Amino acid sequence: MDVKLPQLAEGVEGGTVVTILVTEGQEIKKDQPIMELETQKAVGSIPAPSTGIVTKIHVKQGMEVSVGQLLISIESSGMQPPRAAESAQGAAHNARAAAEARTAPQQPVAAGRATEDYHFESKSGAPPPAPPSVRKIARELAIDLTRVKGSEAGGRINLTDVRAYIEGLQQMASHRPAPTSASQPALAEAIDFSKWGPIRREKMSPLRRTVSRRMAESWSTIPKINQFDNADITALLDLRKKHSAAYKKKGAHLTLTSFLLFVLGRALKKHPRANSSMDDSSLEIIYKDYCHIGVAVDTEGGLIVPILRNVDQKNLLQLSEELHAITEKTRQRKVSIEELQGGTFTISNQGSIGGSHFTPIIYAPQVAILGVGQGQAQPVAIDGKIAIRTILPLCLSYDHRVLDGADAVRFLKDVIAGIEGFDESDLKLNK
Amino acid sequence: MEPISTEIVVLGAGPGGYAAAFYAADKGKKVTLVEQNPRLGGICLNVGCIPSKALLHAAAVLREAKQSVHRGIEFGQPKLDLDKLRVWKESILEKLGQGIAGLAKQRGVQVVHGRGHFEDSQTLRVETGEGQKFIRYDKAVIAVGSKPAMPSAFDLGNQRVMTSTEALELPDIPHDLLIVGGGYIGMELGTVYAALGSNVVVLEALPSILTGVDPDLVRPVTRAAQKAFKEIRVNTKVQKMATSGKQIKVTMEIDKQPREELYDRVLVSVGRVPNLADLGLENTKVIKDDKGFIQCNAQQQTDDPNIYAIGDANGGILLAHRASKEGRVAVEAMLGEQSAFENIVIPAVVYTDPEVAWCGLTETEAKAKNIEVKVAKFPWGASGRALTLDRTDGLTKLVIEPETERILGVGIAGVGAGDLISEGVLAVEMGATARDLAESVHPHPTLSETLMEAAESFYGTATHTFSRRNT
Repeated sequence: MDVKLPQLAEGVEGGTVVTILVTEGQEIKKDQPIMELETQKAVGSIPAPSTGIVTKIHVKQGMEVSVGQLLISIESSGMQPPRAAESAQGAAHNARAAAEARTAPQQPVAAGRATEDYHFESKSGAPPPAPPSVRKIARELAIDLTRVKGSEAGGRINLTDVRAYIEGLQQMASHRPAPTSASQPALAEAIDFSKWGPIRREKMSPLRRTVSRRMAESWSTIPKINQFDNADITALLDLRKKHSAAYKKKGAHLTLTSFLLFVLGRALKKHPRANSSMDDSSLEIIYKDYCHIGVAVDTEGGLIVPILRNVDQKNLLQLSEELHAITEKTRQRKVSIEELQGGTFTISNQGSIGGSHFTPIIYAPQVAILGVGQGQAQPVAIDGKIAIRTILPLCLSYDHRVLDGADAVRFLKDVIAGIEGFDESDLKLNK
Repeated sequence: MEPISTEIVVLGAGPGGYAAAFYAADKGKKVTLVEQNPRLGGICLNVGCIPSKALLHAAAVLREAKQSVHRGIEFGQPKLDLDKLRVWKESILEKLGQGIAGLAKQRGVQVVHGRGHFEDSQTLRVETGEGQKFIRYDKAVIAVGSKPAMPSAFDLGNQRVMTSTEALELPDIPHDLLIVGGGYIGMELGTVYAALGSNVVVLEALPSILTGVDPDLVRPVTRAAQKAFKEIRVNTKVQKMATSGKQIKVTMEIDKQPREELYDRVLVSVGRVPNLADLGLENTKVIKDDKGFIQCNAQQQTDDPNIYAIGDANGGILLAHRASKEGRVAVEAMLGEQSAFENIVIPAVVYTDPEVAWCGLTETEAKAKNIEVKVAKFPWGASGRALTLDRTDGLTKLVIEPETERILGVGIAGVGAGDLISEGVLAVEMGATARDLAESVHPHPTLSETLMEAAESFYGTATHTFSRRNT
C-alpha cells in the first residue's frame, strides 16, 4: 500500500518533512506516527493508515511534500493487497481517515465518486511515455506516472497532465467530492480587468486556496438552511462583569465565546444530530459521543479553525483558559495539525469586529455552524414595556439532509435559553 | 601523515568517474579523484573508445581511397607509416587527457595518482609514487571500469596473443590475424587491421557475429566484412593455442572436426571483466553479484551506504555514456535529490563498416519477450544521400507499439549510424510516436531522412518507397 500525504487540515497543502520516524523494513502499527511534518502552521505527525511493514520510504528529511505525494510504502500484514486502482486515492483517504478517526469511524469512499481509476498498461511493458524532463519532476514529487493519464499522442504525459493529476489527488484526499471552482474555469480569468484601470494580481496563498476550495465544496454540496434568531445577553454580560475580575486573577479571560462554548456543549449533548456527520456512501448518520467545537479564528494569513475538545465536559474556567490559549497559538501559527482536526460543530463569532446576522458556511463533514454577530443595545418589549437590552444576532446554518427545520429550531432555542438563563452557579470558580 | 579529508572520493577517472567528480564539484562538493594511470580518461580515452575510433578513421580513409577507383579516382597504393599513425593517435589521447586534467583543476577537484584500496567504509588508502596516502571521505564512488577477459587457456605469456589493449598499440600489421570473438570489439578491430592489410579471420562460437543485434542490422556488416576480411567463421570454438616459432598455432573445432592453423597474431576479444581485484572491498559492506560485478540499486548505491558504484564495475552494458549517466545519478542521490537510473535509453553503437546503432527496444528483444510490435523499415537503397555517398548498404528501422504508435526502439545500420541514432534516442525518451517523426521535416538530402521515411512507411506513405499497405 502506498501512503500519500493526506489532506491534514484546513489550509494545509503540504509541508516540510522534519523527521522520519520509521525505517525501511520496520514493522509498524496502524496510527503509529510515521513522520513529522512542519506546515506553515505547526509541526504535526502523520499516522500510519494500517499495520504492516515499511517497504520503502519515498521522502527524505528536509523535503517539501504536498498533499497526495507518496510518502512511504507499506506491505500490509494479513491484509489483501489493495487493488491497483485503489491505492492512489485509497491511501490518501485512509491516511486522512486515520487522522480523522476521532471525528468519525472510518468512512469508505463514496461510491460513484468521480475518481481517477487510471493505471497505465503497455502490452510491450514499456514505461508510461513521458519526456525525461517530466519524468524527473515526477520523480522529485514522488508521483507514479503509471497513474497519470497522458493527453498527448500515444498517451504521452506532459507537465500539464502531471499538474492535473496532483490536483485530482488533492481533491480526492479531501472528504467531499468537489465540483469546485478549480474544475471550472474561473470567470475572472477570462475578463481583462485592466481594460478599465490598473490592476494588481496576487497569488492565492495555499491557505486561501484551501479555504476557497472547501467553502465552494460545502456551498455546492450541502443543501442548507439558515435559521436566524436573537439572544438577549444583557444578563449574561452582567454576570460576566461581575465575575471577570475573579477569572482574571486566575489568568483567564471570560469572553462571550467561552459562554457560548459552555452553552453549546450542553445543547449538543441534548441534540446529538447537530453534532453528527453523514456518510453518504453507507447512508448512515454517524453520531459522535464527544463534542469538539471549532472556533473560527481570523489570522493574518486567513481563516483557521482550531478545535476545543470535550467542550461538554469542561467548566467555564477551563473553557476560557483553553480558548484563550488556542486562539493565541493559532494567531501565531503555532497550532498543531492535530488541534485542527476532529471538530463536530463550529462557532463563527464576528462580534468583536461588528456586523449583525450573517449566514456562515457549514464546515463539512460537520452538519451545523453557529454564526454570531455583534451584541447591540436595542429597544425590546418586555411585559408590555420598552426596555433597552443587548441583543445578540445568531444564525444557525445546518445541513437539511441530516437536520430538519424543527430539530434545528429546537436546538437553537435551547442554545438561546442557555444563554439567556445562564446559571450563575456555573460561573463559580471553586466548583 | 595527515589523511586527506574530502566529502566525495571518486575512484577511477574514466568517463564515469570524471563525470561524477566534475558534477559533484559543480554542485559545490569537495571532491578527490583517484586514478592509477598517469593520464586521466580511463579505458575509454586510453585503451578503448578513443584510440579505436582514431584507428577506424584511418581505416575508413584507406578503404574510401580504395573504393574510389570505380568512381574514377585513383590514388595508387597507400604508403603506411605506422610510427606516424601511432603518434597521431597518441596526440589525440594526450590532448583529451590534458583537457580532463585542466577541467579537474578549474573545478578544484584534487587529483591523486595511485592505486586505491578501501581500508574501511570511510577510508581509502592510495599507493602513490610518493608513498601511501589516506583519504577520509563521506561518500565514495567506485568507477574502476573493466579490462579485457583473457581465458587462462589462451594466456600463453606470448605477446602475439593480444587483447584489445595491445591491439590498439598497433605493434605491427600481422599478415594473418585471428580474432577470437565476433562481438563489437573483435569486429571493430578486425575492420582496422583488415584495412591496414592483415588477412583477418574472425571466429565466433555462436551462430552469428554481433550476437543480440537484430539480424537485419547485422547483415550489411556481415556482407562488408566478408569482403574485407578473409573469413568469418561462426559456430566455431578455439580449443587450444600454442606458441609455434614466431607464430601461434590455434586448434579449433569446426563442425566437430578439429583443425589447426597458424597465425602471426591472435586477438582475444571474448568479453570484459571488472577491475575489482585487490580493491579492499572486503573491508566495506559492498557486495558483488554472482557474476562478480558490484551490486547496486537504482541510485547506484552499493550495499555499503557510503559507497556508490558506476559503470563497468557494475556489469550490464559496458558503455562509457552509461557510466557517465550513472555518475550523475550517483551524485544526485548523494546530494539527496530524487534521482534514479530507471527507464533510461542507452544507445549502443558498433563502429564497424558500416556502423550499427540502436536504442530502446530491439526487434530481437521484442520477439524474445513476446511483445507485439510493428516494425517500419526504410532501406538505404532508396536514399538519395546514401547513393551519393556510394553507401546504400544500410537500413533504418523503427520498432513501434501498435496501439499507440509510440516508438519503442530504433535501429540503424549504415555509415554514420552512430551519429544518426541520437534522434532515435530523443524520440524514445520523449515518448514520440511514429507520427511525430513523420511530421518532423528532415533536411534533404541527408541520411537523417531515413528516420522520417521509415516513420512515413509505417503509415504506408513514404515518398521514396512504395507500399500497398494503404491501397
